[in-house]
Amino acid sequence: MPPTPSSYHRLNPLTKAVVATAGSLGAFAAGGYIGPIAIDLAMALLALRAGVLCQLGRASLLLTLPIAISVVLVSVFTRAGTTVLFVIGPFDATAEGVDFAAQTLVRLFAISLSIGLFVMTTNPRAFVFDLERRGVSPRIAFVAVATIEAVPGLVERAGVIGESQRARGLDTEGSARARLRGILPLVGPMIIGALTDVEERSLALESRAFSRPGRRHLLWAMPDRSWERWLRWLLSVGLVATAAARLAGWI
Amino acid sequence: MTSIALEGVGFVYPDGTRALTGVDLKIGGGELVAMIGQNGSGKSTLVRQLDGLLRPTEGRVLHDGADVAETRVAALATRVGIVFQNPDRQIFAGRVRTEVEFGPRILGRAPDEAAKAAREALQVVGLADLVDANPYDLGYSRRKLLTLASVLAMNTPVVVLDEPTTGQDARGVARVQRVVRELAAAGRTVIAISHDMRFVAETFARVVVMGGGRIILDGSPDEVFAEAAWPMLASTYLEPTLAARVGVRLGLGSTPTEASLVDALSKQSSGILPT
Amino acid sequence: MLELHGIGYRYAGYATPVLHDIDLRLADGELVGVVGANESGKSTLCLIASGLAPGSIGGGLTGSLSIDGVDMARQPLHAFATRVGIGFQNPATQLSGVTGSVFEEVALGPMNLGLPARETVERTKAALATLGITDLAEREPRRLSGGQAQLVVIASLLSMRPAHLVLDEPTAQLDPEGTRLVAEALRELASTGTGLLVAEHKTDLLDGLCSRVIVLDAGRIVLDGAADLVLADSRLEAWGVEPPSRIRLGRALAGRGSDPSAIADAVLAR
Repeated sequence: MPPTPSSYHRLNPLTKAVVATAGSLGAFAAGGYIGPIAIDLAMALLALRAGVLCQLGRASLLLTLPIAISVVLVSVFTRAGTTVLFVIGPFDATAEGVDFAAQTLVRLFAISLSIGLFVMTTNPRAFVFDLERRGVSPRIAFVAVATIEAVPGLVERAGVIGESQRARGLDTEGSARARLRGILPLVGPMIIGALTDVEERSLALESRAFSRPGRRHLLWAMPDRSWERWLRWLLSVGLVATAAARLAGWI
Repeated sequence: MTSIALEGVGFVYPDGTRALTGVDLKIGGGELVAMIGQNGSGKSTLVRQLDGLLRPTEGRVLHDGADVAETRVAALATRVGIVFQNPDRQIFAGRVRTEVEFGPRILGRAPDEAAKAAREALQVVGLADLVDANPYDLGYSRRKLLTLASVLAMNTPVVVLDEPTTGQDARGVARVQRVVRELAAAGRTVIAISHDMRFVAETFARVVVMGGGRIILDGSPDEVFAEAAWPMLASTYLEPTLAARVGVRLGLGSTPTEASLVDALSKQSSGILPT
Repeated sequence: MLELHGIGYRYAGYATPVLHDIDLRLADGELVGVVGANESGKSTLCLIASGLAPGSIGGGLTGSLSIDGVDMARQPLHAFATRVGIGFQNPATQLSGVTGSVFEEVALGPMNLGLPARETVERTKAALATLGITDLAEREPRRLSGGQAQLVVIASLLSMRPAHLVLDEPTAQLDPEGTRLVAEALRELASTGTGLLVAEHKTDLLDGLCSRVIVLDAGRIVLDGAADLVLADSRLEAWGVEPPSRIRLGRALAGRGSDPSAIADAVLAR
């Protein structure tokens, strides 16, 4: 079983997934400021409980900031509005623009915090095994996890290929034309290598009875408590209700 | 180019792992040098300092006495060619010919010059009649020889081989030995990383032993496989060649290769050496 | 008992067969080595014995393969897994990449067989113990050395309790330390009663391990007999196979020196 340093980590993966979904979508379903800010605070509190607040904050800022900056600039200066706050060259900064930007920002953070929290507190294998326990095919489960776990290996391989070609004089620091020349020697072995890899891996897996149909008895599983099930229902219903209310114009 | 030198070279990877400490090494033109040591002893890291793939975090790398810190890898590749261990991390062309011509073409040679260099290189490794074959129709042994040819075609004064015999069958190993000897005869410097002690003892005149990121021994096979050096070899998880061990058991002194063992035994039985 | 009778094989998309007229029998618990130059057909033979050719990679097979009397031609691929396990030379691609510990990795096979959890755990523990890697149980498979990874692979195959284990050049990509680890593990395996078919260049590895050795040349079996005799055969080099060091050295030293028995002892001593 993977390590679970906090009680939030110990929640069933599906629960955490539902929390993340409710947080991301809920921020858009709810209008105004209160809803999204509440969600932001809730996620921050959960992150604190889970001991990942600093990590999450950093990651969230890194991911959101680039988009946020462009959103802010565009909204503040180009959104139609009547109350002009200040002027820079041909651009008017309107209060309406600032308002729109602020609302978008809190929602962007809601998404990155919700999803970030899920990723930081959930072991991918635990999640996939849980899905398998609920009836998802083990083969799908396998492909999902294998894809995630394959990334570091691919990055390393790209490095090795790069070295081999640079040692033959391929210039990766020079002109654009030189770099263009380098595409096939860098990408070619990567693709061939990936294909060969897949072939070798599938042969090895066949030898481990991978293609045998039928259910497996997993060695461990994340527990799922009845109150978690209630929580998931509650959150899902709440999300739908909020969306409905918004559409109906009540909020 | 006549010499390549490392002065006080140290290297620390970005994640903080120290791979080389205080490495002083000078290799003259035409030398045949083998680098041995356990995985992680720094052999691969050291060899990558020679053509600039890695730059020292301490110390300097000199080509003919000049510091190469400011020289680009692409330029250094004209002097030091490295054949890496896994051919499948390099081969990208659909034909043997194209793959081998790639190096010379990149270095700016005209197409007919590159073709000539490629033909000669393929001749040396024994693949001349497979010039239009698809590299992936060749077995692993031949693909390894192909990557060797690709670097040979660049005619660099220094050739570095990273585990040239791993995965090769007996014929493949013999072919690699022949290639190394031909390169030496042509005056080129050959540096090889290998964990095949027999190949090392039989082919190279100088053996550099690495352990824990440092050079712990540097001498001829006679010196490096002599009994006095065995504890040093053991410290980097190396074993001397069988011939060396048999020689010591029979009291014949240092006999790193089978040929030297047979020689010593003959001398002994004809009374030249004491029993 | 694994029997290949009149086997010929060509790879999918190629017209020329790579194996011709192969007749081979592996009794339960027999340890057999396969030697031959690169491209002599060793790997192909391993793929056929494990059912992966043509089962997984296609191609044209002639002749018959039967295990314990059952003709495997019409059996699904996973029926092979409990009878014949196969290991390859690259440890990296054989580790599933989806397990967090060596224990889970070795348990993967039995789990895929649908065995109850308790049985899976028992088999896993036994396999780890046989290969002497119980202390690696909690390690991340990604962080193993080449030799350790190969041991984990062999344990993963063993936990499925096949009657025969086929290993295609298990030490080809390993350093001397890794090769030593695998060689010791194979010796341990020999005592479990699992049949072993090992294809290798390093005849030193097979020397003293196998009771029987087969030589392949250009897709045909050219010699099949007791290990001692085959490995000492003078035609090995012509077939691209290097004899084990003791035989080679013994030959080189024969007739030299004044004390032949002292020489023989010196060569054989470890």
